[in-house]
Amino acid sequence: MDNFAFQGLIGLSLAMYLWLISAGLTIIFGVLRIVNFAHGSLFMVGAYLGYTFYGQMGLPFGLAIILSLLGTGLLGYVMERVFLRRIYGVDEAYQLLLTFGFILILDDAVKIIWGGVFRIPPIPDFLDGAWPVFGRSFPIYNVFVIAVGLVVAVVLWALFEKTWWGRIARATAADREMASAIGINVPRVFSGVFVVGAMLAALGGAIGTPVRVTAPGIGSAMIIQAFIITVIGGLGNLKGAFVSSLIVGVLSAYGTLYFPVFELFFIFVIMAVVLLIRPQGLFTR
Amino acid sequence: MNKKQAVSYISLILGLFLFPTAPVGAQCKLGVPAIKVGAQGAASGPHSDYGRQIEMGATMAMEEINASGGILGCKIDVRFMDDENKAATGVKNARLLITDWGANFLVGTDSSGVAMAIGPVLAELKHIQFFTHAATHRLTEELVAAKGIKEIVRVSVPVYQDAIIAALIFKDRKDIKRWANIGADYEYGYVSWNLFKETLRKYRPDVEFVGEAWAPFLTLDFSPHIAAVMAQKPDAIFATPWAGEAVQLLRQSLGQGVFDNVQVWWQAMGGSVDVLEGITAEVQKDRFKGKLWATARYIHNWPDTADNRAFIDRFRKRWKRFPNYSAETTYSAFFIMKAAVEKSQSLDTAKVLEAMKGMQIRNPGGTRVFRSEDQQFIYNVPAGRPMMDPKYPIPVLGDLKVFPAKDYYRHPPFTPVSATK
Repeated sequence: MDNFAFQGLIGLSLAMYLWLISAGLTIIFGVLRIVNFAHGSLFMVGAYLGYTFYGQMGLPFGLAIILSLLGTGLLGYVMERVFLRRIYGVDEAYQLLLTFGFILILDDAVKIIWGGVFRIPPIPDFLDGAWPVFGRSFPIYNVFVIAVGLVVAVVLWALFEKTWWGRIARATAADREMASAIGINVPRVFSGVFVVGAMLAALGGAIGTPVRVTAPGIGSAMIIQAFIITVIGGLGNLKGAFVSSLIVGVLSAYGTLYFPVFELFFIFVIMAVVLLIRPQGLFTR
Repeated sequence: MNKKQAVSYISLILGLFLFPTAPVGAQCKLGVPAIKVGAQGAASGPHSDYGRQIEMGATMAMEEINASGGILGCKIDVRFMDDENKAATGVKNARLLITDWGANFLVGTDSSGVAMAIGPVLAELKHIQFFTHAATHRLTEELVAAKGIKEIVRVSVPVYQDAIIAALIFKDRKDIKRWANIGADYEYGYVSWNLFKETLRKYRPDVEFVGEAWAPFLTLDFSPHIAAVMAQKPDAIFATPWAGEAVQLLRQSLGQGVFDNVQVWWQAMGGSVDVLEGITAEVQKDRFKGKLWATARYIHNWPDTADNRAFIDRFRKRWKRFPNYSAETTYSAFFIMKAAVEKSQSLDTAKVLEAMKGMQIRNPGGTRVFRSEDQQFIYNVPAGRPMMDPKYPIPVLGDLKVFPAKDYYRHPPFTPVSATK
């Protein structure tokens, strides 16, 4: 029983990493209606900036995360303002091609800037160590990741449900022509949402730099899972993304414990079942 | 022209006549403008340092050989390509390098999957590739020994190093009875674990293999895998994720207090330079409590010979890094090729292969001996525990366990080893 509970907690921390990256993907699709293949690359850039500010420049870990969010947010702003804005009105295939192009460009760019060697700076002292949980050692770092994930969930809920900006964003998502007709600056909303999405991806990347390697191509490791989560939860549905992150994270952890040979299939089986039963996702009406 | 200028010009002209230079390639006895060597490895993605090290080893070998007159007076030309760790790209590169660029030889390849895809293509193109990293036993046991593809030559030690030497080291540890595996979820991981189990069972029928967790390529979070195998209360862990994945696996295992609860952690390729660089802080603080064991296909602090020390010095001077094993094996492959071409006086595949028969050659990693049956070069690499040495800025492997290569290489005729989970 202790092993079951412990594995569940490990799955929870895995779920929070997945939540951070899928949240950004979800809100970008929800408002802009863009399937952003380059979201994983923004995750990677966030990780590299986190490594640079914390691992190379020696800034405090918290400050390094904030700076990496700002840096990636700025990159996201440029991507949206200069490139994506030009193709909202054309066929979706162009969006896919453009965002896929960003993956190739950013993968090579980080290799040119930071080299091919993976980066992994030391764990900050205050996050090093473990707490006794169910007779085992549970890493403080995983507690930190769970806490950050939950805080982000609350902040995003408050941002979209309780603020003026959130209402504007939701109104734009529901009907961009009507929003524009009543005086909402839709392009500005799009930029803002894309920046928030990029910063969420960066948070997912930066928060893990001391325990997960930062290397060219890590974005593609995350983006597939993030897409699966958004499909399970319902494209553009933030609550769905949160719950499906929990489902995928926790079930993956249990799969590793009880069905190690088939664990990889778990996530795809879940997605296939959801697509068969509720193609619109679990939480989209 | 003043008098001073005139003297300078005359001196120069006289110098050219009196001390004629013999540029490499001008007197190539093989009748080619240059001997072209196509190199490839994983130069993008999380394991891209291995491809980069292949490129560094190849480039340095080329520079040194050309500076000393080339091969039979022929200069070497190297072209490196990124195989992206993908079989299709590796095959495409091999075809392009041989048929389009005109490569005389190929060298490199990190991934077992890529190597298995390239092997049959080499037979079709009738050109030799010196494999310098890919570890699957099937490359030499199946493609060479069983199917007779003679264009495959392997310079690096295969999974025997990852698996059999571990069994030889720990067979006498009576305190270790329960082994668990955190494996790379592809051929390299399956074969290593299966070979380890098969070998250890022969010596220790009493051991139990109590848990397995398989991590796919590009795993960023090993926490579920670590928690899953630790739930089985193992005495020791056998781990095969490599490169950066090995570093994060070890770091994440520290968070779960693994080294308080196991007697041994075997990290198959943990002796590679990039892994040692990544765990330097943890080794300095003795956080692995002396329980971490590792090996590699070459380690920078062994053998302690003048050849190896000089190689390390030159490599560090050239690249500001220590060489990892794919650099040493690639570098050595060039000198094996040089020796074979010089002996055969030819670039013909059959003649070069014939010249390799019985070859014994001293490389930085020690003496390599060519085994004809599977065209595998055999050499010793010990295993040991990562520890600091004042002579090095990164950990070395210490407490070395050295076994004669014949004791842990498999020998023909080969019996099948399962390459599945």
